[in-house]
Amino acid sequence: MSLTRAEPHRTATRHRLGSDVPFVLALLVIGGFYILLILSMLLADVSFLSPVVTAGTFLHQPLWSIRQMVFSAVAPLQSRELRYALKLSMISCSITAILSLYVAVPLGYLLSRFQFPLKGLVDVVLDIPIVLPPLVIGLSLLILFQTPIGRAIDKRLPMTYAVPGVILAQFSVACAFAVRTMRVTFDQLNPRTEQVAMTLGCSRFQAFWRVTLPESRRGVLTAGTLAWARALGEFGPILVFSGATRMRTEVLPTSVFLELSVGNLEAAVGVSMLMVVAAVAVLLIVRFAGSQASLSGGVRP
Amino acid sequence: MNRRGKFSPVPMLFILSLIALGALIAILALDRRKPLASKKPLLVYCAAGIKAPIEKIARNYENEFGIPIELQFGGSNTQLASARASGKGDLFLAADESYVKSGRQQGLIHESFPIASMHPIIAVRKGNPKNIQTLDDLLKEDIQIAQANPDAAAIGKLTKPALEKAGYWDKLKPRTRTFEMTVNDVGNAIKLGTVDAGIVWDITVRQFEGLEAVQSPVFDSVNSSITLGVLSSSTDPAAAIKFARYVTAADKGLVVFKKNGYTVVAGDRWTEFPEVRVLAGAMLRPAIDETLTAFEQREGCRITRVYNGCGILVAQMKAGERPDAYFACDTSFMREVTDLFIDPAEVSINHLVIVVPRGNPHHVASLKDLGQPGLRVGVGREKQCALGALTRKTLEQVGLHDSIMENVKVQSPTGDFLVNQLRTGSLDAVVAYVSNTTSAKGEVQTIPVDVPCATAIQPVAIGRESQHKFLMGRLLDALESRQSRERFVAQGFDWMLGAPPQSSANAR
Repeated sequence: MSLTRAEPHRTATRHRLGSDVPFVLALLVIGGFYILLILSMLLADVSFLSPVVTAGTFLHQPLWSIRQMVFSAVAPLQSRELRYALKLSMISCSITAILSLYVAVPLGYLLSRFQFPLKGLVDVVLDIPIVLPPLVIGLSLLILFQTPIGRAIDKRLPMTYAVPGVILAQFSVACAFAVRTMRVTFDQLNPRTEQVAMTLGCSRFQAFWRVTLPESRRGVLTAGTLAWARALGEFGPILVFSGATRMRTEVLPTSVFLELSVGNLEAAVGVSMLMVVAAVAVLLIVRFAGSQASLSGGVRP
Repeated sequence: MNRRGKFSPVPMLFILSLIALGALIAILALDRRKPLASKKPLLVYCAAGIKAPIEKIARNYENEFGIPIELQFGGSNTQLASARASGKGDLFLAADESYVKSGRQQGLIHESFPIASMHPIIAVRKGNPKNIQTLDDLLKEDIQIAQANPDAAAIGKLTKPALEKAGYWDKLKPRTRTFEMTVNDVGNAIKLGTVDAGIVWDITVRQFEGLEAVQSPVFDSVNSSITLGVLSSSTDPAAAIKFARYVTAADKGLVVFKKNGYTVVAGDRWTEFPEVRVLAGAMLRPAIDETLTAFEQREGCRITRVYNGCGILVAQMKAGERPDAYFACDTSFMREVTDLFIDPAEVSINHLVIVVPRGNPHHVASLKDLGQPGLRVGVGREKQCALGALTRKTLEQVGLHDSIMENVKVQSPTGDFLVNQLRTGSLDAVVAYVSNTTSAKGEVQTIPVDVPCATAIQPVAIGRESQHKFLMGRLLDALESRQSRERFVAQGFDWMLGAPPQSSANAR
């Protein structure tokens, strides 16, 4: 690291044609556009809910405006149904995220480190949940559980129009994203450390467990949060496969859709804000915990 | 790097993730709310003629669920009167549906559960010592007869008009030695020999040893239907309805009725907490959701609702989905899945309107004005929703389809999306249902479309394969009730059913 920084310092005097400021400014402008877009969408939502908040107040009284935003986000919590939807969303997404990791880590490792016949086909199959419209996934799950095998499962563990079905629908989509992330993570890890571990007497499993997995912790964290976030936003398959029963299979995106589909914009935006606040809170906590872990773990900077 | 390999946190994190997973699943599993079992006894007013089966069923129920059932016997009308007078009690088991109907009209009874039918006959002592073959034989000098009081018992109430019609009532009345309060008293009188014959139910003869039945053509068209009603006075309607469902379950109460010789209705299979699925067009949600929730609480059942565009719902049903009921946005969608449902009932009407922002800045007065240059118009997507198909049909009928389609900027799957877009200012006018505008009343105004075909009719029907047809029948009753009607009207729908129906469940 010290090398890479020292070198340009010396050569810069020779090659530098001007200041770095325009470049950094350009980065800021381009990036800023996107961030501005996201923030202005949120601001528009807030001012839709509480018209006292405008861009002006946001600039002059940012804290007050953020407080208004949080107020409008927690307002829907007065409803028992939405409290349940929030709880179900949080719990089902967390279960989905953990389950996705259980599948994504081995599968990502397999795809990254091994060659096997039909690997290309497996790759394509894993893309299906990503490219398919979510609604189709829901419909396919519904049809799957109408088959004799599906019915037999449904009898023992109710899936169709039940809470486990919510998790299955989320998992079907979210897991594909986690697998992709894990595969890229393992691809980017140098297999040498693993090979060294094996020459030092580790079995393949031991090398994976003791070396590769700790090395990939950031990837695991990213895959987990990506799956979680993906599951939180999922509603197409849930609506078809799990229904929209209040106090039962209604998750937050379902509430938004239901309110929107009957023209209740205020409620739809209110619940959306609730989702934003909840998602941001959870992602911040995970990132914080993740950075703590990677600090204490300190396998790789 | 190698030094800290020994203290790899991976196993610990893995175990932690397993614990977290277990804990999350446990939270979900424990969350399944269990309805509180009340040990409060249920008071049932019973028609005396049905004593044998209901006593057995009540004992079974007590053993199975630990809830005591208190039975009170008497003539049907007497029992209804005491329910009214006391203002107490949970259920009323009537020997004929008519008592439950009149109880409903008086507001004493909510739900009704059909059970079985009975038929009047002439009862004589075994061996028929007086050789009674017809009603005319009852008029002979040496024959003493007994009847049940028409004002107290169902059998008297039902046979009196039949006897009057055949010209027997006035002849039999003076010869009737006693008018008893219940049909069982008539049976006892014959058995004891106080009288030689009497008019009772076919079931009474089967239950009383030592009696024999003689059929009479006068009673051919007379049948009573035993009906169980849930009293409005019940303090725990969910518990009362649960017992009523038990009594009328094909594999519980009805088995006992059948063993006792009754001709029973089909009945639903018994499930302690029934779960049903209702598919409904998205536009109906605001009008029906509250009714469904109220029904769930009263019946102690669970209704899974799937609200979506009707085109999508129909596709789901074609893919194998078999809901217990389907409430369609328009009859055209019901027609596509008509084999799956029984006798759809048309409940409400939704009218097509032009929706513009408040103040009508573009001065739209009719469909024709939607063709004015530069106007941004939104309509429903024809293939996906009833609204789109209906809009097209309407525009074609007035010959404006092509000119207006030039101005169409958006085709959306639901009318509410269109109204939302109008509210955000990206459209100047949309063609939608009047019910789509209720949530945006202050911001938009509507212009009626005066074309006869510009209406959608919403039918509801019970699934042919439903395991809970009777339950669904009661749900349809609830959807067709006055409260439901008010919710529909509040959402901008027109009500289609005539007077609030009495008991369509029985009819189905």
